[in-house]
Amino acid sequence: MHRLRSIGVISYLLLVYGFIFLPVVTLVLFSFQEGRFPIPPFNGPSLKWYQAVFSDSKLTSALFNSLVVALLSSLVACFLGFLAAYGFARYRLPGAGPIKAAITAPLTVSYLIIGFGLLVTFNMIGVSRSLLTVGVGHVVINTPLCFAIIYASMGDHQLNIERAARDLGANDWQVMLRVTAPMLLPSIIAAYFLSVTFSWDEFIIAFLLSRFDVTLPVEIWSLLRSGLNPKTNAVGSVVFLISVVIVLLLEFTIFRRGALSDRKS
Amino acid sequence: MPSEAARRRKGWAFVVPALLWTLAFFIIPFVVMVMYSLWQRTGTSLVKAWNFDNYASFFEKSHFVAGLINSLEITALVTVISIVLAYPLAWIIAERISPRWQRLALLLAILPFWTSYVVRSYAWLLVLSKNGYLNQTLISLKVIDTPLEIAATRVATVTGFVHFFVMLLTLTIYANLVQLSPNYRRAAADLGANGFQTFWHVILPLTIPGVMVGAFLTFVLCIGDYITPQILGGNNELVLPQIIMLQITRRADFPTAAALSIILMVVISIAYIACARWLKMERT
Amino acid sequence: MHKSTITSAIALVISMTAQTGHAQEEINALVWCDHTDPEFVQPFEQANNVKVNLKDYEGTGTALSIIEQSQPGDWDVFVVDGVDVPRVVEAGLLAPLPEDGLPTADLFPEIIMPETHVIDGKTYAITEKFGYNTISYNKNTVDAADMQDISVMWNEKYKGKIALYDYYLPMIGLVAISLGIDTANIQESDLPAIKEKLFAMKAVAKQVGEVVSSQTAIATGEVDILVGGGEWVTAGLTGELPHLDWIIPDQGAVRWSQSVGVFADSKKPDLALKFVQYILSPEGQARLATSSCYWAMPANSKAGDHLNDQQKAALRWDDQKGYLANSQLYPVPSAELDAKMQDIWTEFLQQ
Repeated sequence: MHRLRSIGVISYLLLVYGFIFLPVVTLVLFSFQEGRFPIPPFNGPSLKWYQAVFSDSKLTSALFNSLVVALLSSLVACFLGFLAAYGFARYRLPGAGPIKAAITAPLTVSYLIIGFGLLVTFNMIGVSRSLLTVGVGHVVINTPLCFAIIYASMGDHQLNIERAARDLGANDWQVMLRVTAPMLLPSIIAAYFLSVTFSWDEFIIAFLLSRFDVTLPVEIWSLLRSGLNPKTNAVGSVVFLISVVIVLLLEFTIFRRGALSDRKS
Repeated sequence: MPSEAARRRKGWAFVVPALLWTLAFFIIPFVVMVMYSLWQRTGTSLVKAWNFDNYASFFEKSHFVAGLINSLEITALVTVISIVLAYPLAWIIAERISPRWQRLALLLAILPFWTSYVVRSYAWLLVLSKNGYLNQTLISLKVIDTPLEIAATRVATVTGFVHFFVMLLTLTIYANLVQLSPNYRRAAADLGANGFQTFWHVILPLTIPGVMVGAFLTFVLCIGDYITPQILGGNNELVLPQIIMLQITRRADFPTAAALSIILMVVISIAYIACARWLKMERT
Repeated sequence: MHKSTITSAIALVISMTAQTGHAQEEINALVWCDHTDPEFVQPFEQANNVKVNLKDYEGTGTALSIIEQSQPGDWDVFVVDGVDVPRVVEAGLLAPLPEDGLPTADLFPEIIMPETHVIDGKTYAITEKFGYNTISYNKNTVDAADMQDISVMWNEKYKGKIALYDYYLPMIGLVAISLGIDTANIQESDLPAIKEKLFAMKAVAKQVGEVVSSQTAIATGEVDILVGGGEWVTAGLTGELPHLDWIIPDQGAVRWSQSVGVFADSKKPDLALKFVQYILSPEGQARLATSSCYWAMPANSKAGDHLNDQQKAALRWDDQKGYLANSQLYPVPSAELDAKMQDIWTEFLQQ
């Protein structure tokens, strides 16, 4: 009986993990395809599609654009989210409920609708579309996320330390920047990286709000529409590799260390 | 000690930047969208006559209504299948895998999350294609003798979606399961419950609120998505976001697109209210 | 430290947005995807030390939508379906071109189309590339004889083996041809019959998709026939997939042609004209004809000197006379009829 159950568990794991990894394996495999079509039979391995990706200036600049937009828009989103979280957690504000609801509202609205709303608004007031407008859109979707994560980690246990700092003569800004922010650093970093991930991979807002300078998902979309070849596989694999390396680095540095220091305190 | 009013002013100063941003780039665009939805596009010009014609024409055009129905059907199907697949996985990781390996198992389960979102759908197209490896393997294993024609069907769209949401839900359900105090289980065992009874009467009910939150997230992300049905569905049926995008990109018919967006938003809000209600009832 | 991070971030944002507008000159072109091939654009960019920003689209409706979402002066060069030039000119989007600066005399005579390009004695655009929306198929899996008749579009024999090209104008044109209606003459009263045939096509089709998903479907064997396809689907692939072929059925097919012009409110009309001249030059034409996005016949007959025999064979250089005679141009609906056609198309997708 027990044995039967473990066999069941193991086969379930195999099936689901198989399902989860099926597209990734196919993607990576055919990125090494020699011929022009990412379909069986596999006739590689060849690195020529990777070469094609790195010599494609449109793709490399889109990669750079994506990074810039993700890093900067997340910075703004985290900054706004942190300030709001601090305000709500440390000051008793009348009418806080509806305002919190307003700040978190974008979480429950589809990106398509947020992007389209910005599109018609920018159109009406005559703002040209660019990476900046994409960044604005990404701040809209990520601010509530950062706010929610940071706000949730703000408990009363930091209050005493803040009070102590204040007693020692620190003003409000000093307390916030020198005391509160460092104490909340793990959740701020988590919020920042989550926000970077979302912005980095976001398609529809970037598609609607960009023009010539586009982000990587938009460039991949137009790559998909302009010719069938394993280059799409290669760029997909590169993005996957970069992301996985970052995730693993975070996993083994910041979060692991965060876990340790938690245990110590 | 500063006065209460001064403290409040200071508090507001922290909140105002985020609030202003939301106001300028979320609430005002929403108002503009509502305005557009009440205008019309005739020929190539925008007519600012205020009426509800765009909404009326949504209900008059059966292919628009069908888009909403397709969206709802696909989203419901995806949500249910994803939960059914993800719950056991999260359970196994939380209960059956030693704590040392749990993080790794979880990380593995969500690793493909980091393939680019557009590429993920494209990769599924390769997997599901008529002459792809999936069909070849199934044929060589004698499971089937003619290739499955999955690409460009609703099954393909649902598969692409389920793949994404299984990862997402595994993460949320796992987080929920590990938060439960082991005392519940001990208490149940003390009262003579076996493993299944403990799960069914104690663990499952305790995790349902978390599952509902995950289901709502799935609902919102799935019903608003354009890429997955566009790449995998082969245009054999359209969901509401595809119809909205057709209005925006092919004919610059912003008024119709705005009206359709608002209808989509209303549907999501209804789901949100229903979900919140239900959670509140569950708690009391 | 925080303050400095923020200041530098703001500085970065500003420098990011200020990037456009200095260093080399730039022009902005709204094009079909064949113009985005670096092999085509880079020689012009290097020779003139300019940067050509390209935005690709499919379908005039999409292009007009993009223009509407832009500010005046944003765009310099416009590549658009030949039949849509009159309505684009009527909307005041294009500026007249100097005729002596264009190689009109070298173009294949059938596709000069002065009736659409010359309005009130002024030339507003010039044809740059043309081809056909017809039937592409897999020689190995279908009976080529069946392809001779246009009714193959809804032939039950090929149920589930047909892909349809997702662009309403040529597809409605093909259906009109099958019904014996001139594409130039489609009336509102013809729509019910056209709609019925479209829905019959949808019933046997496996999928409807834009250029690449259609290409993918026929290249991977997902389908055996592509309705709406032509040399622009198969010519670029025949090197590796010799079993792909295309045909113009006995009843005829739809001919497409792309024209290029300069925007009336362009801020750099001289540079824009230079780019148009490059596109029409024999070298530019040869590169455009064999662009990675899709291949098709160049408008300039002198481009032949820059194409090798294999490329010419793939383009069916020598068969053009017969093809041109048995093909009709895209339908050119009025705004109201266009809206009705698009509605039918959405309904068709939803079938």
